[in-house]
Amino acid sequence: MGRPRALDARDESKARGASEAPDAHGAPGPNNAIVIGAGQNGLAAAARLARAGRKVVVLERRDAVGGLAGAVEFHSGYKVPGILHDEGLVSPRTVAELGLERHGLAFRDAPPIFLAEADGPGIVIGRAGRATLETAEADAEIRARSTRDAESYAGYRAFLAKLRPLLDDVMGTPPPPLSPASAGDFWQIAKRGWRLWRHGRQDTLELMRVAPMCVADFLNERFETPLLVEGLAAPAVIGTWAGPWSAGTTANLLLAEAAAGRHLAGGPAALVAALERAARAAGAELRTGAEVVRLRIENGRAVGVVLASGERVDGATVIATCDPKRSFLELIAPGTLPIRIEEEYRRIRARGTGAKVHLALSGPLDVAARPGQAFESIRIGGGHVDDLERAFDAIKYREVSPRPHLEIRVPTVADPSLAPAGHHVVSILASYAPHDVGGGWTERRRGELLESILSILERHAPRVRERIVAQELLTPTDLEERYALTGGQLHHGEPALDQMLVMRPTPSAARYATSVPGLYLGGSGSHGGGGVTCTAGLLAARAALGR
Amino acid sequence: MTRKPYDAIVVGAGHNGLICAAYLARAGRRVVVVERRHQVGGATTTEEIYPGFKFSCCSYVVSLLRPWIIRDLDLPRHGYEVLPLEETFTPFEDGRYLLRDSDPERTKRAIARFSQRDAEVYKQFGQKMAELGRLVKPMIDGPAPDPAARNPFELMRLAKLAKHVRGQGEEWLIGNIKMMTMSAVDFLSEWFECEQLIAPMSVSGIIGTFLGVRSPGTAYVLLHHYMGEIDGSYRAWGLPKGGTGAIAEAIAGAARALGVEIRLRAPVAKLRLKNGRAHGVVLENGDEIEAKTVVSGVDPNRTFLRLVGEEHLDPDFARQIKRFKMRGSSGKVNLALDALPEFACLPGRGPHLRGDITIAPSIEYLERAYDDAKYGAFSRRPFMDIVIPSLTDPTVAPAGKHTMSIFVQYAPYKLKEGAADWPNQREKFGDAVIDTLAEYMPNLKSRILYRQVLSPWDLEQIYGLTEGNIFHGELSLEQLAFLRPVAGWSRYRTPIDDLWMCASGTHPGGGIMGAPGALCARTMLQARAV
Repeated sequence: MGRPRALDARDESKARGASEAPDAHGAPGPNNAIVIGAGQNGLAAAARLARAGRKVVVLERRDAVGGLAGAVEFHSGYKVPGILHDEGLVSPRTVAELGLERHGLAFRDAPPIFLAEADGPGIVIGRAGRATLETAEADAEIRARSTRDAESYAGYRAFLAKLRPLLDDVMGTPPPPLSPASAGDFWQIAKRGWRLWRHGRQDTLELMRVAPMCVADFLNERFETPLLVEGLAAPAVIGTWAGPWSAGTTANLLLAEAAAGRHLAGGPAALVAALERAARAAGAELRTGAEVVRLRIENGRAVGVVLASGERVDGATVIATCDPKRSFLELIAPGTLPIRIEEEYRRIRARGTGAKVHLALSGPLDVAARPGQAFESIRIGGGHVDDLERAFDAIKYREVSPRPHLEIRVPTVADPSLAPAGHHVVSILASYAPHDVGGGWTERRRGELLESILSILERHAPRVRERIVAQELLTPTDLEERYALTGGQLHHGEPALDQMLVMRPTPSAARYATSVPGLYLGGSGSHGGGGVTCTAGLLAARAALGR
Repeated sequence: MTRKPYDAIVVGAGHNGLICAAYLARAGRRVVVVERRHQVGGATTTEEIYPGFKFSCCSYVVSLLRPWIIRDLDLPRHGYEVLPLEETFTPFEDGRYLLRDSDPERTKRAIARFSQRDAEVYKQFGQKMAELGRLVKPMIDGPAPDPAARNPFELMRLAKLAKHVRGQGEEWLIGNIKMMTMSAVDFLSEWFECEQLIAPMSVSGIIGTFLGVRSPGTAYVLLHHYMGEIDGSYRAWGLPKGGTGAIAEAIAGAARALGVEIRLRAPVAKLRLKNGRAHGVVLENGDEIEAKTVVSGVDPNRTFLRLVGEEHLDPDFARQIKRFKMRGSSGKVNLALDALPEFACLPGRGPHLRGDITIAPSIEYLERAYDDAKYGAFSRRPFMDIVIPSLTDPTVAPAGKHTMSIFVQYAPYKLKEGAADWPNQREKFGDAVIDTLAEYMPNLKSRILYRQVLSPWDLEQIYGLTEGNIFHGELSLEQLAFLRPVAGWSRYRTPIDDLWMCASGTHPGGGIMGAPGALCARTMLQARAV
């Protein structure tokens, strides 16, 4: 990295802001902004740019908007509200900035999570991130296992609550410049320093101590009930190429849990709908079935894209929200960029580790351990954090976990309209299933995975099999193909200590402007992304606007 | 019993304890070192465990001992001599092998047999690592900076550090961020493509830690292995003449010359506290020794939970000491051989036997070894780091006969059956080691005269290393620098007035480095604590 990127970026966008003043009146021409991909981040970027008066066109490869956050009708009459499960990561700030509530976005309290166990009642916990209505219940459930854990749990929640303002701020703003070059850069760093200072010495030291820890140690320091440790650890490793004993997974946990707020009513799909309305209302043009196959770069600047149809679309600003590897190694013709830059993107680790299973059921998913209770969110592991680690061990050898960990959602509990009356849909994220499984994803291996998932599920919900109307398995390779997702990596880049903040997606693009003037990265692979947050798209749009 | 009180009592005559004592004496202080065992050195020890054969039972190579300590204490005059260890030999399961040595061209040709590309970048990588080391060197030669500092002096130090870092340029900074956060394998994979190079190089990242080569945070440890400073040349490792015990003897010699009194076979039972201040120790035989200050050269866990006693600690501090991870993960097998064994892949004697022999044939091999240990069993096919000191230093074995030192990982202290089960599993563990090694050295078994197996449990029993951790505490990210051993207590001070820490459990940590001992003494003198 020669010159500080941040500086170039800012100057450019300022310059552009000026030169494109007429564009504010929507005059067509080469100054349009192009957004590649109509996923949550693409739509957020488009809405933000359009609201700023830019003429925006969103180009989506698929026939529907939404990407991984969009609804999937996997069987006629049966829908899941998105491939991704997380629903609590959209910050109020984002909602306000895009006016999403005016476009029909509503929130609800996070549903409780049922931690299932082989032979026992399991534990029902609230979303650790926030005190929900279920908190009291959860505390009672945990207290039933261990008084010490109940107290630790309260302490854990307090710790997260204390961190929230700090982490909200970190995740809601661009990462600080690596080599501060201007007064503005220094001010940004000073601001962060001041926030840490205000956070208090002991808390700061504790944060620095735990963030690089492995989540198993972090939770074992606090809790003694194995099932609880495993259940609380899961969010830290799902979608990553790491196990609970891998260092740095605590950072994932803190980001996931401290950021967790109220849930999206209607799931990710509802967010997509609101974003779409917001974008259209602001005047953005949305084109589906328009696959970008090439980024056009002339005299070192982005000048537009070429579609699969051969059509050329001009734009002096291009925000790519597909994954960074695809953007730089596939959409840009090889050899266009300096090897050093290509190398940066080649080095991004984006290995998919999760398989999705969708089930259409003719009745509810009755959990034997809790008769009469309908859970929306269920976690099935082996009952000990080491079982989660064992599941991870398999992918180190390019094998599928013999006993995968199941992250289960039953969206029809909250929204019956997703299936015919009385019927239900079940959405399962199974970890771990490697993209590069030895021998490839043959029919046989797919069958084995589906069978092992169903037999695990059956152990906890004995009647599930007989109720199956339809089923769908999406391996990382399926996800890669269907969503143009490199490696089938759900976060566009593995969450890991060395792929966070200033390192995400690459040091040269950490502040959304890339080494190619006019080209911005605003997908989940950028800072603020990873999960349904739309933050990355929003921040990329701001960078493009020079704000 | 002594009338005139000492200025300082150092508990434990390990290399750090001795260095700390020497520096205090050098400043004119009256110092006594009390050692539990019959000889100085702690885990820096040479022992004749079989007639005529001298072994570096625990630590077996040296590279990190700070050059300024060697100069300050004039160690060469007291017998400190290091013989270079230049080759690194790695045999593979398919009968091929890789021999790297100090000759860049030869090494390049050797690597080229596996990958031309890797051969090209290998040298460049070494230079890059040396550059990155520029951050670590100031860090390990001074007390750890405090990022949550409040007082102006600390903030000034931080600002200086920030300036230094910024001066190095963005690329260097990114390199260091990666270094601190990546796994050894991921970091090396950014440079190299062939596993025959990545696997043996990656093990430098896990030696002595309970982590796998794919665990984030292991890349940083690689750096230590590029900071060996024999004759100022980076990445040079060496064998101390007469075994690592000779280093301890040299330091002890220097210390005695400076007036330090060393008492052997004097195990400390308790620390003596007078209204909250440390002012001496009680030996197991009941003797009491008084002093203005007490410096602990044993690990944090032992220091506070045994010598001080939990009842004298603030509960929060006690909790933090208890959660400080010790977790021994390695063992030693020492062999007395009546002749040199041969490698099937490269028969006969030669330079490949003289250097460092690494049994790390593939990443998968290393990960499987780690997986065994994660669930409480010793690795069935472990990673091994082997040296045959007698080839470089004939003084350690009878003519024609040889000593072999095998560092073995993983051997978890906490077995499924509990640590106390080690006596039952020790020899099985030894067998696993020899059987695995015999796959590469078919005639090894027939050459063994005597075999010593040291499990982590044994290291605890014999050398007082809690849970057999050779570094006095895991070198994991959350236990380094300003967090070692406890956040806010990384400056050798302790919550007990006049009790100080000077061993590997404090910054900058483990290995025969000596920095903790020297920095502790420096801090004490600057603080006029003694």
